Amino acid sequence: MRATLERNSTWPVLTAIALTLVLSLLAVAAPLRLPEGQGFPAPLFPLIALFVWSVRHPRFVPPWLIFIVGLLQDLLTGGPLGMWAMAYLLAFAIARLRSTEPSAREFILLVARFSVMTGIATLTAWAAGSLSIGRPADPTSLVTEAVITLIVFPAFCWLFARKRERHTFS
Amino acid sequence: MAQWRSARQGADDAVRFSRTLFLMLMAISAILIAADRREDRVAAVTAFRATFNDLSLPILEAAAQPLRGLYNIGPWWRRQIALASEIRELRQEMAELRAWRDVALTYSEQMRRQQELLNLDPPMPRNRITAWAVTETGGPFVRTRLVGVGSDHGVSPGYPALNIYGVVGRTIDVGARSSRILLLTDLNSRVSVMADRSNARAMLIGDNTDFPRLDYLGLAPDIREGDRIVTSGDDNILPRGLPIGEAVLDRRGVWRVALYSSAAPIDLIWIWPFSPVSPPADEVPPYIGDMVPPVSPGADDVSGAPVELPVSSAPQDDGTSGEGR
Repeated sequence: MRATLERNSTWPVLTAIALTLVLSLLAVAAPLRLPEGQGFPAPLFPLIALFVWSVRHPRFVPPWLIFIVGLLQDLLTGGPLGMWAMAYLLAFAIARLRSTEPSAREFILLVARFSVMTGIATLTAWAAGSLSIGRPADPTSLVTEAVITLIVFPAFCWLFARKRERHTFS
Repeated sequence: MAQWRSARQGADDAVRFSRTLFLMLMAISAILIAADRREDRVAAVTAFRATFNDLSLPILEAAAQPLRGLYNIGPWWRRQIALASEIRELRQEMAELRAWRDVALTYSEQMRRQQELLNLDPPMPRNRITAWAVTETGGPFVRTRLVGVGSDHGVSPGYPALNIYGVVGRTIDVGARSSRILLLTDLNSRVSVMADRSNARAMLIGDNTDFPRLDYLGLAPDIREGDRIVTSGDDNILPRGLPIGEAVLDRRGVWRVALYSSAAPIDLIWIWPFSPVSPPADEVPPYIGDMVPPVSPGADDVSGAPVELPVSSAPQDDGTSGEGR
């Protein structure tokens, strides 16, 4: 009986994780119909989704999932294969040096932690991409991408934290 | 059944990040990065990418449809005003183009007569392949678009891709139902171009900025701001004469090109089948050997005699050259 209840509560979470990750990957590659030169880099939605789920349900965000999400981003965007996979893995590995996750209500701590992860991911992506093309790449676009990601992240974090509170006090 | 614990309980778990698994995945990433270098990409990686594009295409197309629909959402009156303005512009453009049509018809007739005189048999122009872009990616390492046509539709790697204003790029990673377009702005894009006015040659080099650089111009290049830049066809990658953009000088004094294709979203793309001219196989054209009559035994009066080639032995275009060359 208990096993059935646990399974019932697990599947919605897994479905939600799968759905948000797929949507975040599509958002990175979706055509916005902006003329070349008038567009701007899309935020790193997959990183945001992975981070949010890793805070809420770390059990369901194993390293291989992070690797696959990064690899799918590389394939969808046509970028160097393995670049974002390596960047996300390294960012999560360094960010997870602490033994426990912060409470979801610690908003500032979460934002600070995500900022560090974004910085590591961006730096790793730049290094891996530069190795791939054989010369140092212009970091402007990557930095812009990171800044846009950090600008939109608090909104996701706030929504996430509010939802968490509802869970906690209900 | 320990793994089927409740989600809330799972949230409080400490993070498990296996060091061995992490190192293994990092090693795989590094191998993939090394195998996917554009200059010496492993063939299996290209095939894997093309297969992945084919498989993901239906999902990407489904995701792109609502975005195309959103573009058309707006108040009715605003669209009417936009349409009226567009009709006015198109009428004016049509009036100007009538004169150009006459010029084009005259040149077309002249060319036909010259081809008749030279006994040329140019290849039949092949139909363009229309496609919609289903992904839009930018960034420091790649500027590409994924389109929903592939080898099943007649696309091959290296075909030029254009939008209504000019060249967008060329096809790479061609799968059965999908192809990736390497944009002119991509870091790996190299296209041989020339100024329409002076025929000054240059290499258009993408550097992931919105204005690709003109390089290898020579010491005193005959290029002016506003010169129309077209493909020269010297590289045998793209056909000659395709419109690229206008020459502009940046603040550092470097010649760049403002792309015509940037005037509109890279959404609807035309892919033009183009076969590069194959290099000559031998120094002596094979048709001469074919025309020499065989020496019959006992015939002693043919040695050293000049062989008169019939008129029909003139080299025929075998269809390897694309239209526009």
